[in-house]
Order: sequence, then C-alpha cells, then structure tokens
Amino acid sequence: MTSMDTVRQVHPAAKMYAREFKQGQMSRREFLARTTALGMTASAAYVLGGLGQPAQAAGHAQRGGTIRLQSEVRAHKDTRTYDWTQMAYVTHGTLEYLIEYNNDGSFRPMLLEGWEVNDDATEFTLKVRQGVTWNNGDAFTAEDVARNITRWTDSTVEGNSMAARMASLADDETGQAADGAITVVDEHTVVLKTKRPDITLIPGMADYPAPVVHSSYDPNADLSELVGTGPMQVVQNEVGVKAVLEKSGHPWWGDEALEGGGWFIDRLEIIDYGQDPAAWIAAAESEEVDVFYETVGDFIDIMDAIGWQKSDVATGSTIVIRPNQLAEDENGNKIYGDKRVRQALAMAVDNAVCLELGYADRGLVADNCHVGPVHPEYDDSVTRLPHDPAKALQLMEEAGMADFEHELQSIDDDWRKNTTDAVAAQLRDAGINVRRTILPGSTFWNDWTKYAFSSTNWNHRPLGTQVLALAYKSGVAWNEFGFANDEFDTLLAEANSIADVDARREVMGKLQAILIDEGVTIQPYWRSLYRHSAPNIQGADAHIAYLPQAYKWSLSA
Amino acid sequence: MGMFILRRVGVMLLTALCLTFLVFYLTNLYPNLEKLAKTQGNFRMSDEAVASWLEKGGYLQPTPVKYAEWLGVVPSYRFEAEDGTVTGRCILPGMEASEAPRYCGILQGYWGWSTVFRDPVSEIISTRLALTGKLMLWVMLLMVPGALIIGVLAGMREGSPLDRSLSTFSITTTATPEYVSGVLFIAVFASSAVGLKWFKGTATSAMENATFENFFLPVLTIALYGMGYIARMTRASMAEVMTAQYIRTARLKGVSFPNIVLKHALRNALIAPFTVIMLQFPWLLNGVVIVETLFNYKGFGWTLVQAAGNNDIELLLGVSVVSVIVVLVTQLISDIGYVYLNPRISVT
Repeated sequence: MTSMDTVRQVHPAAKMYAREFKQGQMSRREFLARTTALGMTASAAYVLGGLGQPAQAAGHAQRGGTIRLQSEVRAHKDTRTYDWTQMAYVTHGTLEYLIEYNNDGSFRPMLLEGWEVNDDATEFTLKVRQGVTWNNGDAFTAEDVARNITRWTDSTVEGNSMAARMASLADDETGQAADGAITVVDEHTVVLKTKRPDITLIPGMADYPAPVVHSSYDPNADLSELVGTGPMQVVQNEVGVKAVLEKSGHPWWGDEALEGGGWFIDRLEIIDYGQDPAAWIAAAESEEVDVFYETVGDFIDIMDAIGWQKSDVATGSTIVIRPNQLAEDENGNKIYGDKRVRQALAMAVDNAVCLELGYADRGLVADNCHVGPVHPEYDDSVTRLPHDPAKALQLMEEAGMADFEHELQSIDDDWRKNTTDAVAAQLRDAGINVRRTILPGSTFWNDWTKYAFSSTNWNHRPLGTQVLALAYKSGVAWNEFGFANDEFDTLLAEANSIADVDARREVMGKLQAILIDEGVTIQPYWRSLYRHSAPNIQGADAHIAYLPQAYKWSLSA
Repeated sequence: MGMFILRRVGVMLLTALCLTFLVFYLTNLYPNLEKLAKTQGNFRMSDEAVASWLEKGGYLQPTPVKYAEWLGVVPSYRFEAEDGTVTGRCILPGMEASEAPRYCGILQGYWGWSTVFRDPVSEIISTRLALTGKLMLWVMLLMVPGALIIGVLAGMREGSPLDRSLSTFSITTTATPEYVSGVLFIAVFASSAVGLKWFKGTATSAMENATFENFFLPVLTIALYGMGYIARMTRASMAEVMTAQYIRTARLKGVSFPNIVLKHALRNALIAPFTVIMLQFPWLLNGVVIVETLFNYKGFGWTLVQAAGNNDIELLLGVSVVSVIVVLVTQLISDIGYVYLNPRISVT
C-alpha cells in the first residue's frame, strides 16, 4: 500500500496474534479482524501474518460507463439517523467514511490514514489522511473528523443511532460528547479518550450511518448540493423511483492513496423495482439493471440459471425463534418463566433442519447462542443442548406444560416464515402443541419485543459482544427475550473491557454457556448473503454488512 | 344543457367533499396515525415518542378542525418547540415561519406535502397522472378499435362460426383478471423460462422512453381485459340492431351487406358500447393499480398503493379528489354524448 504504515509501531498484541495465527491457534478471519481493529492496515496485517495478499482485479479495471443497481430508493434524512443501508448507497459517492469494514473481517482506513489504540482500548489516536479536499475546495482536516465524531455522539437528536455506537465518548448527563473526550492535537491528529474500555468504537465508525459530512451540511437541503469528499454527486433522488450518482469532476483522493484506485464508473443509477424479487428478475431479464442489491431465497438459483455471476459471503446475520420470559398467559402466569420449558423448546429442534427448510441450506448451522465463527472472540468449544425430542417432551411434562398450546408468531415473508414453520413442525413432532400465527409486515414490528413466542431476524455485527449488549443485556430496549441475568450482565461488561481477544474469549465462552443453558433462544443458523451481477460487471461483490462500496465496481471490456 | 352541466358540477363538488371527508376520517384514526409516525420517525419508536411526534405535527386536533385546515377555511396548526422554532403544515422545508401563509388548503391551491415522497402532492399527482395518462392512451387506442371490430364482426351474423369463436375469445379475456394474464404474459413473452423474450417484463424504462418492446405487455394486459367486455356489449347491441325491421328492408332492397353494417347498423349499435367505453375510464384508474405494480410502472395506481401503504394522508386525499373528478367528468361526457348519438334522448 502506501508509506503511511512504515513509521508506525506495531501494537504488541498484534505481534502476539501473528504468533498465534502462525501456530494455527487462530483463523485467518479472526487474525485480520483483530489486528486491523488495533490500528494496523490490512496490508501490514497480511505481511505480519505471512499471508499472501488477495489478488485485486481493480488494477486492471476499465474506467467509464454506467452501472444500474436494483435497490429501494428511500427518502434522505440526517446521515446519523439512517435506518436503512439503502440510504447510504445514494450518498456514499459523495459522503465517505473514515474506516471501511471488509468481508474478511478487516478494517481499512479510508479518510483516516490509520489509527492506534492503547492496550486497554481507552485511548484512540486517529491519523487524518492528508491531501484530501472537499468538493467545494476546502481542505479536509482533523477539525472535520472531530466535528463529525461530536455530531455522532449527540444522543439528544431523535433517531441518532450513531449515539449508541459512540456512547463511551458521551457525557451521560448532557447526552453530548464529554469534555476532553475528543481532542484535536494537530491538523492531522485527533485523540479520543473513552470513559471505559470500548472495543466497538472503531467498528462503529465503519457502519453505514457514519458518513463524514461537511460543516455546511443541512439534512433538508437538496441532495445535489451535498458537499463531500467523494468524486460523485447526487443528480437525482426520487423516492421509490430512482436515484442517480454522477462524476462531479472532483478528483478522488483514493486514486492515489489506495492501491488500484476506485470509482471507475462515471454514473451509478439506483432504480427501485419494489419489494417483489420477481420484479427484479424481470428487470434483469429485460437488461434494465446490472447489479442486485441482494438476491434472496429461490431467486438465487433462478439468477444462476440466467447466467449472472453469484457472489456470496457468510455472515453473522441470523434469526432467533425465542420465548419471551416475561410473557404471561390469561391467568397471569409466566408461560416461559420455567427454564425447563425453554430448554425443551430448544432441545426439540434440529437446527440443521431449520437451515435446510427455512433457508435452503444457504448458511451455517448455529448453536443457539448468537455468537458465531464470524466473530473473533467466539468460543467454539461451547455447544448447544443436544437435539433430543424425547427429553424435550419429558422436560415439558416435568414443568407441567405438556398440554399447553404454544402460539408461535412470525412475520409474513419468505425465509423467516419458513424457518418458523420448520420450528413449529419439529415441536409438534416432539409432541408439543403449537399454533402458528403469521402477521403481515405492516403490523408485526409494532410489538415485536413483546410477543410470547416469535421469530425475529438480526443483522450481522462485527464483534460478538455487540449483539449481546443490544439484545440480551437486562432491560435494554431490544431485549425481546425478557432475559435478565446478573451474572450474564457482569460477564458481558467484563468482556467489553478486554482489548485482548483471547482473554475475551474465555469470558465469551461463559456467556455462550449461560445463553444455551438458560434456553434463551433457538438460533438455528447463520445466513449467507448473496448478490448477483451481470456478466460484464466486476467487483460488485456481496458485502457482509450490506455496506455500499460501489467505488470497487467497474465494467469489463 | 347549461343548467344540466352546472347541476352535475355541483354534484361533483359534493361527492368530492363527502369522499375526502371519509378518507380523511379513516386515515386519521389513531392506529393509522401511529403507523404514520412510525414510518416517518422510527420503526421502533416508543408510545410517548409517537404521541410527541403526532402532537408536533398537529395530528392530535379534532378531525373536523384538521379537515377544515386541509380545505383552507381555518388557519393551519403551528407548533412551537421549546427552543422557539415553529413548525407547521404551511411552513415548507427551507421556509421561515414568518414568511409562511396562515391558511394553506385546497382553496388556496395548496394540496399538501407527501410524507412518503417528500414532495408537494400537486407535483407528484401531476407527474404520476401524466404517466398513467400515457398508459391509458395506448390502452384506449388498442382496446376501443379492437373491441368494436370484434363486437361488430361477431354481432353482424349472430350464431355463425365467426361469432362463436370471437365470443369465446372475448369471454376468455374478460374472465382472466390482469394479475393472471400479466403474469402469464411475462412468463411466456419476457422470461428465460419459455425463452421467447420478445418483450420486456418490466415497464420501468417506459416511463422515460416508451418503446413497443417495453410498453406493449402492460398495455396489452389492461386492454385485453376491457376489450372482451366492450366486445360483448357491442356484439349484443349489434345483433339486436341487425334483427330490426329497417335492416331487413334494406337487405330486401338489395343494399350490399358491408353497406348495411357500416352505414345503417353501426351508428345505432354504438350507443350502448359508448356508455361502456366511457365507464372504462374510472375502471382503468383502479385497473392500473395492479398492472402498474406488476410491471413497476410508476404511475397513478402505484402512487395510490404507496400512499395507502404508508398512510400518506394528504397524498391519499389528492388521489381521491382526482378519482372523483375523473369518474364524474367521464359520466358527464357519456351523458352528453348519448344525446348526440340518440336524438330520442334529451338531458333537459
């Protein structure tokens, strides 16, 4: 890559990881995720780990042309309140990111040149990339970075989801960045001091609601006037219909700073074909689009059949079919308060069957603990309760729930419905009474955390502790399990303060064991994501977290 | 005649008022408002946040007041936040509160702001209506002549093999709903499944640049459904005329068969189909909902679906007003046209 990583010291933990990796104690993905999160560039990590760098076709990419992407086009809103990745697709050619998260689990500096983390993950030194300018001519400096991070930290803005990611920089009372948390040291250096060890800060900055905006940014202004560091401008953004990004003439810093450069295409059209995949297929067959946002379900085979290229990536996206421990029946008794009932539900279900029937075997079987092989701190020695329908029925009888009819609810869609059906069928096979209720998408989310027994899909997150903190910690807003366990909370807080991944894995193993033993949820599989693109398109690969990276796309000659 | 038209316009206004009030009432039921707040704010908003969002938008006032605001007969609601910023219906994004008018409703020519599309309702309706107009124009150009020819051919010799085969065709097309024929057409003529690939299975590009290839399937899907119906009406009417005394007289006099059909029978036979054709306009407005969604053609029907799906109150009201006008104006034209076609009828 460039010279930016030559003078930097290698973090001592990174050297240790390299040793462990070479001894075979750590997977390639884990190694990359951990070392790059410590501030190492991906290429340095490859060198340190003695890995061959992945071949990049980008160097030979042809410049020019238009690519048409099938994707929903949603109304723009304040970037930090983005709640759909599709919104970021429209702006990502203009508003760029500090850090990029990649499919191999690594973090690559973009508008930063790099960063350093101290040993207990409480102090982050961000090096701002030099020579980058905004498309109005202003220079991009440390002030811009500090201002954006301050903006993200502000939790008083309604719907600002970045605030949760930056919470360790915030003052709990004012909801704003704490005094001294964000310091501009010089024109190209920003130092962040967190109030507690925070391993998720860097991954948080790579997420889709974190585009870097100019000081003049106004969420209500016309998108064509957007000031950003990227080479594209939004020339059209018609909600539900079409958005168009075009080269604005502003040179891209990445052509010099990144190997192989980027933004090969002159124009990206994002065309909305609604929510029905059949319409996407019709568009592909009519040669009206070149790239899909995502290919789902049976349509993957159809797209293979018509000769498009398939790209897939295993992720941490998943589904949970969970009882809510606080749910009550008509007599006010807690239906799932008894651990045996929950364990019985989990034991009656073979996760591989759910994967096969619910998601056509497109993924990996999981172990009911919502942490998996894509997460660096996953402990693979902890496994699920054995699949044993007879034991399940016995437990159910012991708990006095043999005659109870469980109501299992799901949203009305393809894979979520099918997976939930597969669970219901297996419960019935085990002798447990189940009634299925399917709710339309428009009403399902109104009460999604409160259903007694229902399924919910969860997106991928880079670190294992992240979902646990969002959904399993006692009393958090998205705790749909009604799960409250002091030991779990204490261990989770401990895990979150360990920068060293191996040490964290020991704690994670205990966390996984608690979730499994308490029968908190059935979490049958990890989904793979798929994206198809026309045969003449290069580089439009599926992304593990759906992040927009059209700068890698090009048309082949 | 003048009186008649005036009376019809009066009825039209009254109907529009009643219908919009009904739509207004239904879209302003609390669960619908809650849905609006959640789609606009955040899917996972708490009940308090929903209430404060609705309060801020003035949605919690009594329905008649809100309706009067929409009409423009009472000053519109304004909300003053704690920090002193004023928001309200009349204050569009980028406008200062002090510059904004106090009244903004239909009477002032303001149709409201679409919460889904973030654009003025009038702009959306005019763009989308124009696109549907384009679709309808081609549908009419295909459907009306096609139906009349089939109907006349079938009706001029009742019971002949030609009549039987054309009638079977008409009944089949009318009995096949658009969502069946549309899917069949896409599968047969546009997909790799059959492999013909003569046309395109989506009409999205036809919005900007309509060609025979990308526009024919949606036009055909709508046209076929209506065509069978009009053809059946024309056939019945034609068959009846062909048995009339004066036609027999003409034949006995030795007038050639084509002459009898074109000069003597056709005008009389067209009276009934004329009404049916005029009634096709309002029907087309809702028929396009399915076809536009199926072929991803973003016209009036698609707008209606989006507005209803997201409880976009002002856009739905705009759509209702346009629908009322289309229905009643076409009926007015059909009544007046009747007078010209049939001198025995008078509107006064």
